[in-house]
Amino acid sequence: MTTSTKNRVVRSVAAAIVGLTGFVVAGPASASTATTPNIVETSWLESNLNNPKVRVIEVSTDPGVYEKGHIPGAVNFRWHTDFVDAVNRDIVQRKRFQDLVQAAGISTDSTVVLYGDKNNWFAAWGVWIFKTYGAKDVRILNGGRDKWVKEGRALTPAVPAVAKGNFTATTADRKLRAFLPDVVRIGRKIDRKTKLVDIRSADEFSGKIFAPAGFQELAIRAGHIPTAKNVPWSTAVNSDGSFKSPAELKKIYADAGITGKEPVIVYCRIGERAAHTWFVLSQILGYEVRLYDGSWTEYGNSVGVPIANPAGTVWGRG
Amino acid sequence: MSSKRFIISAAVFVGIAVGAWVLARSSELDKAPALSLLFGAALGVALECGRFCFFCIFRESIEERKTRALLSIITALAVGAIGYSIVFGLYLPSPSGEGLPPLAHISPVSIPLIVGAVAFGLGMVLSGACISGHLYRLGEGWLRSVPALIGSLIGFGLGFITWNSLYLGMISESPVWWLPRSLGYGGSLAVTLVVLGALAWVILKMDRYGPEHREPARSVVDAVFGRRWTWLASGSVVGAIGVLAYLRVSPLGVTSQLSTVSRTFLDGQGLLPEVMHGIDVMKGCIGTVSSAITNNGWLVIGLVAASFASATAGGRFKVVVPSVRGSATGLAGGVLLGWGAMTSLGCTVGVLLSGTQSFALSGVVFGAVVYATVVGGVKLGLHRGE
Repeated sequence: MTTSTKNRVVRSVAAAIVGLTGFVVAGPASASTATTPNIVETSWLESNLNNPKVRVIEVSTDPGVYEKGHIPGAVNFRWHTDFVDAVNRDIVQRKRFQDLVQAAGISTDSTVVLYGDKNNWFAAWGVWIFKTYGAKDVRILNGGRDKWVKEGRALTPAVPAVAKGNFTATTADRKLRAFLPDVVRIGRKIDRKTKLVDIRSADEFSGKIFAPAGFQELAIRAGHIPTAKNVPWSTAVNSDGSFKSPAELKKIYADAGITGKEPVIVYCRIGERAAHTWFVLSQILGYEVRLYDGSWTEYGNSVGVPIANPAGTVWGRG
Repeated sequence: MSSKRFIISAAVFVGIAVGAWVLARSSELDKAPALSLLFGAALGVALECGRFCFFCIFRESIEERKTRALLSIITALAVGAIGYSIVFGLYLPSPSGEGLPPLAHISPVSIPLIVGAVAFGLGMVLSGACISGHLYRLGEGWLRSVPALIGSLIGFGLGFITWNSLYLGMISESPVWWLPRSLGYGGSLAVTLVVLGALAWVILKMDRYGPEHREPARSVVDAVFGRRWTWLASGSVVGAIGVLAYLRVSPLGVTSQLSTVSRTFLDGQGLLPEVMHGIDVMKGCIGTVSSAITNNGWLVIGLVAASFASATAGGRFKVVVPSVRGSATGLAGGVLLGWGAMTSLGCTVGVLLSGTQSFALSGVVFGAVVYATVVGGVKLGLHRGE
């Protein structure tokens, strides 16, 4: 047996013992070693995989990623179909969401851990939806799928057979979501209190480009909503995809004038990357934050609303 | 085997292994390029040692009623269907809903699929092989594959140019027929195996030759490389590689890298429409705009290299330079192969094998039309342009 295999075996056995003891002694899901309650570390999750109160959900972007191998016991949620109502361009309807969540074996007292590829973008969107529909204990796996794999932890292609849970969705919490009129009031400087954070790249923010490379142009104008601060989502993560420490995060956003004293709205291009920053600001730093999921594809195309376009590329001005 | 042949062959196999090791080391997360190279190499050995050339097998069955080699294709379909039904059970436990298993080559059954299959079949007859055939026969030193593959690059380009009108006019509204949706996996597999069994019965009835007389192998190397694999061996291995490739990377196909080369070139020249409608929602061998070597590119490299190594080991490597006429018909046939493969979203490997193994009607229709076209083409003597 090689050293690394040995370590892995020792780690797995230790994890199993810790998990079992943690469950027996401390009860379900109370043994998080993470510094922030809404984040779990890979080691914690590995030791809680057999904990019946912990339900794991993968939300990845590329087709086939979950199917070829996922964290044992994880259920697949597809962002395109399970978290959105594509026909209405809306978040998933309450009843449908409740059915999906129950089918994933989630009950009202479950601890739900979401993870995914691409630095947890869509897992963060998933947390936002779960919170919107009243889930109490929803967490993100720090570093997501990539960190789990790089650390040599196991994946399986087996789809778990889970018993139906009793999760009941509340009506959607409007305090977590912003709509076009909310951001137009900021853009027109009627609402001078709420801070806007644009989490796209600097070139999208300035209007130099209309869409990131490889993506179709979806808005007729380029630029950003007036008064928005540009803090790209990626500034919140370390090189291994894990979140920076709360102290570091606090400083990054404070430097951009976001201190948590005023309410915040975050947005991006279609609303998915902004969920990552929504998670950081609301679930790690505890600020009052809404996600504007209409984002630039709605605002940038809207008639009669002002934009800021420092790059001078706005449509009609060449 | 002479020591020179042994050294060359062994060096190529070692080179493939080292290449896979380097690719695997280059990313902690993405092992698909390394796996693709190895799957390609395995496929190259199986195609070469089994003489798994769709056109040659079809032609012999038509001209000489030497039909037994068709059983290798039947075997590959049967083994693949068994494996796919097992993998599908993991990937999509309940097939009765709207969803389809991820990445599987299940595409609409449309008029362009049929027209593409006719073009592809004619391309096979004119150029002397399908695309996988050209790739492995290139490894055997058959240089007529060179104009044929160049022609296929042109054909892929033409396919991209005609794609939007075909998609908007016909493909977008054509139905996707996937058997497990109505019969489940068990039922679909049972039906597939019964039909393949019936085809095998017909094939054996039609055969005029009987089983080949085989000398016992003199050594392991001789057993693997020295003699043509039986239909059972080559079909089983090709079927199994298809299943493993789907399990770890994506369904088997040999055209998406070629298609990527054409698309990237035309895109760079500004010759393609800005938007290729619906292409992202199609399932099959579809090129992207990319100057990097894709997973499929590694598969093709592995295929050609391993075919060369096994042909060398078996003493079958021989440089055959085509005549001017052979080059011209190869090029023309290649254009038809490329256009047909682009329009049908794959070839005899990507659609006929991977599609049928996935219980997609598109695979069956493509295969039947290609065979019928080859029958017509051979009867007309269109294959005598070498």
